[in-house]
Amino acid sequence: MDNKEVILLKKALERQKKARIQAEKILESKSHELYNTVHHLKQENSKLQHLLDEKTSELDGAFINIIDPYVVMDLKFNVINMNNSAKDFLGYDHTKEEINLAKMVHKDYVDYTVKSFNFLIEVGTLKNYRAKIILRDTSEKHVQINANMIYDPTGKPIAAQGIIRDISQETEIKHLLAEQKKQQDIIVENSPLGIVLSVDGKIIKANPSFSKLVGYSEKELKILKVSDISATDTSKATQDLMDKMNTGKLDNFTITKQYIRKNGTILHAKTNVSAVKNFKGEVEFQVAMIEDISKELEAEEQLKASENRLSTLILNLQTGVLLEDEHRKIALTNQLFCDLFQISASPEELIGADCAISAEQSKEYFKDPEAFVKRIDEVLGNQKMVVGDELEMLDGRILERDYIPIFNNGRYTGHLWTYQDVTLRRNYKRTLEAQREKYSSIIANMNLGLIEVDNDDVVQMVNHSFCQMSGYTEKELLGQKAVDIIKPLDNKIVHEKNQKRLKGHSDSYEVKIAHKNGELRHWLISGAPRYNESGAVVGSIGIHLDITEQKHLQLQKEQLLKELESSNRGLQEYAHIVSHDLKSPLRSISALASWVKEDYHEILDINGQNQLQMMQEKIEGMDKLIDGILNYSSINSQNLENEMVDLNSVIHEIREIIFIPEHVNVVIMNTLPVLNSDRTKMHQLFQNLISNAVMHIPKKEGLVKVSSEETNTHWQFSIEDNGIGIPKEYHEKIFKIFQSIGEGERSTGIGLSIVKKIVDLYEGDIWLESEENKGTTFYFTLKKNL
Amino acid sequence: MKGIVFTEFMEMVESSFGLEVVDEIIEKSNLESEGIYTSIGSYEFNEMVSLITNLSDSVKIDTNTLLHTFGYYLFSSLGKAHPEVIKSYTNPLGLLYSIEDHIHVHVKKLYPDAELPSFKILEKTDHSISMIYSSSRGLYRLAHGLIEKCFEHFNSSAKVSYELLKEDGTEVKFDIVQNG
Repeated sequence: MDNKEVILLKKALERQKKARIQAEKILESKSHELYNTVHHLKQENSKLQHLLDEKTSELDGAFINIIDPYVVMDLKFNVINMNNSAKDFLGYDHTKEEINLAKMVHKDYVDYTVKSFNFLIEVGTLKNYRAKIILRDTSEKHVQINANMIYDPTGKPIAAQGIIRDISQETEIKHLLAEQKKQQDIIVENSPLGIVLSVDGKIIKANPSFSKLVGYSEKELKILKVSDISATDTSKATQDLMDKMNTGKLDNFTITKQYIRKNGTILHAKTNVSAVKNFKGEVEFQVAMIEDISKELEAEEQLKASENRLSTLILNLQTGVLLEDEHRKIALTNQLFCDLFQISASPEELIGADCAISAEQSKEYFKDPEAFVKRIDEVLGNQKMVVGDELEMLDGRILERDYIPIFNNGRYTGHLWTYQDVTLRRNYKRTLEAQREKYSSIIANMNLGLIEVDNDDVVQMVNHSFCQMSGYTEKELLGQKAVDIIKPLDNKIVHEKNQKRLKGHSDSYEVKIAHKNGELRHWLISGAPRYNESGAVVGSIGIHLDITEQKHLQLQKEQLLKELESSNRGLQEYAHIVSHDLKSPLRSISALASWVKEDYHEILDINGQNQLQMMQEKIEGMDKLIDGILNYSSINSQNLENEMVDLNSVIHEIREIIFIPEHVNVVIMNTLPVLNSDRTKMHQLFQNLISNAVMHIPKKEGLVKVSSEETNTHWQFSIEDNGIGIPKEYHEKIFKIFQSIGEGERSTGIGLSIVKKIVDLYEGDIWLESEENKGTTFYFTLKKNL
Repeated sequence: MKGIVFTEFMEMVESSFGLEVVDEIIEKSNLESEGIYTSIGSYEFNEMVSLITNLSDSVKIDTNTLLHTFGYYLFSSLGKAHPEVIKSYTNPLGLLYSIEDHIHVHVKKLYPDAELPSFKILEKTDHSISMIYSSSRGLYRLAHGLIEKCFEHFNSSAKVSYELLKEDGTEVKFDIVQNG
């Protein structure tokens, strides 16, 4: 314990000691005072007792006569005394019967009464005891009692006296008020309308509905002003009205205004503001009822929009509309109506005009003006719906008019005229008829036979050509079953096709028909189903062409082809046979000639030997010729054996096999393609051209160039030499068989024919460019992807 | 002012802030009584004002808060001193309703010279009471604390709001709504 604390404690202890001494002094002086007081009281008491005795009777009288009920009771609630007022009020008289006040207390108040009584005994006085009691006549009353104890001279309580006040009415009113307040609160709290209480534009109270409408809590609203949540464009109008209200010129007004919600959106609301005035007539506060009318506004706008749409629709209708009320005044019309009757006024301007007068004015536009007016009167008189009245106008237009009377709850309220310009439609009909006539005559006069049958194959219509084709007259055909008269050789096919027709198929087919005169005819028939307006198949239409002539020609052609083929085959075989048969005697001649040359070498003179030599050469040429013919006849598309052939290797082989004079070079200029082709044919093709080229080069250095190039569809090859050239006049001739320009013994005249034939097989072309003494270039093409 | 208020105030200061603060505020306040108080005596109200002002300076808590806290403390002390008074009530609203008519009557019996505040009942329902505190002392915050502690004592609670009818706090309207 440090020194400071000791000092503090010492000081505190000192204070406590002093306080005790002080308290003891106070108590001593109080004791003294008490003693004195008691002594004094004793003296006073006896004095008072005397006084009291004297005064009691006086007081009794006074109490008895006071207006409020006054009751004295003992400690057991029995009435000792009561005044007249109490007797009247309670309905009891203590002088006539014993009254116990406790019994009068309503059971709900018994506990409270016991407590209050204890309090009274303890304290001596009781104020504002409030309870319900039951009177003699069983009616219930709320009473308020102020009471105090009466003590005997020794200070012992002996009785209590009290003044009763009937507060039933007061209680009821209070109750009623509380009830009303509660109800009002419930109404305000639960009202679907927003309710706001404001003073000088400051929000004092707002109900939950309003909080919900504007999105502010009630607490937030309490610090806001009405103007804080009002949209600016309406707040000015509100302010004017509020000013009027504040100056007493206005008690109540309703406006539609916009509030700004907490989230910034706009609330459209109908607001009813009422001023609440105090008893002095000053405006104390304003009550505003706010109703959200966003939905109503929206609905209203939608209604307007749909009205607009409707009127736009009527205005732009392709029908002249005239709505008249029951007095024949125009209620509504549209632009087309004005146009039809050449009225220069706008449809709006016509509203309210008298139609009886306008009918008289417009009648002159019609072919029969009087009938026009008369018909209107007639229709109006009947008040029955009329549809499709036709009116011819002077200018050639035709109008169609409908009349619809309008009844509302059975009462005639006007009628609607609609006019439609049907001129075009009429004209269209007429054109349509003209067209039909045109086509009818075409059908009647065309070379094709036309027949229409129904679903049972009964003939509905035939044209002239069909009658001619079949040999029957129209009369004989109409109404008959087509297959019964026109007898096809194959009944089945017609039946089949008719079934197809029912399913909506159309096609062409050939039939053989017996003409009325018994002749067999070939017909090509194109058939199509016939539909009615609703799209159902009602029959078929057949177009017939007599193809008997063509049929015969075709048959002849087919016959010819067959014959050609067999004769071709014969020819080929013939060539083979001939070649072989020719070759063996030729070989014998060659052998014999060589034997003569060997055996009779010494006998023969030079001339004879030369002639033998020439004979050998001729035999050789003959042999080549026969080989050529054999080759040539064997070239046809049937015996091609296509494979991938490398043309470069083909050229190499050719260089090995054929005789190439020493001064001539055969050069491949670029790499040649690999072609899907017959190797032997390619060999023949290139060998013939190259051996021709190397033969006729008198120049010192001969050069034969082979090259290729690709086009879209073909390969093009060229074989160029620098030989003697070929005169122009031979350019075509050389490709024909047995034609040779060379005088040389080696030339058989068949080589280029073979070339041409191979090129033809590969759907190619061959030609040449040549200049005498300079050289010749052969070009040929072969089709790719054959 | 009754001595018990002073003695209890000193008790609170001692228990809350220590003996040193008690001594400090007594020294600073320059009191006629020299800080010697007995519950049965009566002392100048000014002394209480000085003591609270100095306490407020010393502990940096405003006087109103100190008074409010003292109300809580005082209710308990008074309850310990006179338990029979509180025991005669079953609920806080009943107690409050009877301050004037019962409790103050008893006080007057013991201390006829006591200067008591008045509590005028305006309205009482089963769950609420509204009354007007009036006292030349203007210690409504003390009353506020007493009222709240009263509810706490009965294991209850209430929303106690007050409105100054006079600016100096000599007349204050209390609206008390019991929770639950």
